[in-house]
Amino acid sequence: MLIVAGVAGLIVAMSLMIVRAVLGPSHYDRILAANSFGTKTVLLIALMGYLFGRPAFLDIALVYALINFVTTIALMKFFRYRSLARPLAVAGGEDGADG
Amino acid sequence: MTAPVLEASFALNVALLLMLVVLAAAVVWTRSLLAAILLMSVYSLVSATWLMVMDAPDVAFTEAVVGAGISTIVALGAILLTRGEAVRVSWKRQVVPGLLAGLVGGLLIYAMSGLPDFGDPASPANSHVGRAYLETAKRDIGAPNVVTAVLGSYRGFDTLGETVVILAACIGVALMLGFGPRATLAPPAGAPGDHHVVLRVTAKMLVPLIILFALYVQFHGDLGAGGGFQAGVIAAVAIILHALVFGLRETTAAIPPQAARAVAALGVVVYAGVGIVCIVNGGGFLDYDHLLTPQIEAMIPAGLLGDPDKPHHWGQYFGILAIELGVLMTVSATMITIFYGFAGRTIDAIAAELRR
Repeated sequence: MLIVAGVAGLIVAMSLMIVRAVLGPSHYDRILAANSFGTKTVLLIALMGYLFGRPAFLDIALVYALINFVTTIALMKFFRYRSLARPLAVAGGEDGADG
Repeated sequence: MTAPVLEASFALNVALLLMLVVLAAAVVWTRSLLAAILLMSVYSLVSATWLMVMDAPDVAFTEAVVGAGISTIVALGAILLTRGEAVRVSWKRQVVPGLLAGLVGGLLIYAMSGLPDFGDPASPANSHVGRAYLETAKRDIGAPNVVTAVLGSYRGFDTLGETVVILAACIGVALMLGFGPRATLAPPAGAPGDHHVVLRVTAKMLVPLIILFALYVQFHGDLGAGGGFQAGVIAAVAIILHALVFGLRETTAAIPPQAARAVAALGVVVYAGVGIVCIVNGGGFLDYDHLLTPQIEAMIPAGLLGDPDKPHHWGQYFGILAIELGVLMTVSATMITIFYGFAGRTIDAIAAELRR
């Protein structure tokens, strides 16, 4: 019962994220909505694996967590530098010695 | 499944499908291409979750890594090279395409009434060839995951075709955008305050972990969801993360574009080579039962894996392992080549090309 309540709560939260992602108004709202939507998806899949008795679903939840991270970095880099190719820190700079 | 679980999955279906409709409408409605990309990535997260409710984890895996991951990044690279707004078209030019789309949509909805119910055991998909696969896969192939057995062995020829299609996509994108960086990629002087130490340390730790996870998905494909396609994309995501954080120049120094495209072609060679070895040993193309000669098979200790009394399918086992390796090589190298193509073609490079 608690699991079902958790799934229902997540669905409500995801619907709210979709409202923010669709309405905007700025792109940052959308990025934030998409990112936390990914987190909610990870939780939903983990709960669904328990609900349907399929622990293997956790593999897919893990993939989501990893992919969501990389996508968010790509988005932030797009905004900050307008380039996917440049490094985030300059080699040989004050903080580039260990990089 | 018991009744409450079925009810829960019905309610989940309704909620997720409603989200899909709202998101698809918003993607069509919005003028900003960046918003459309973000909404598409949310769309594929929802549709992958919906595929999980349908109990198709292999498909959900692919949708998650390709739809939400790679295609978002590649689309970002694409709008860097074009413009961020869709062109406004007058409504008069939209009438005929709109009518056509409405007509096709109406026909599809009409055709839906003739489909069998979800999970209907008497439907053609479940009663003929699908049931035969479910009944014989364990005996013929020995792989616990029937999806892998069908994909790798029963329909191995189809999967070879899909791998060749991916290689063709690699060649197509590379011919349009170039196989690798066009610009010099010299890093610009860093703006003060751009240290990103946390990001760099996190990325440095995550890249090997993601590759480890890709290998797990690769070799676990026999037993659970996963396989060469998914593992290839996950491995490519690790390389893309490296390029995003440490710069494309560092990544192309580690994995040169020439190596990436060679591996993409080599994967198809590995896959087709397995088939040819089967022919040489007296079987059909991709008939893995003939992959190992009896002399080699006798050298494998029977108790190596599982119950020694049960019949083993070493040919099938090694055949699926080898073709999945070929798929992994082609898919990951293709994704990396496509990313190199988009990320390496900066605006400066295009401007220089136009001036020539």
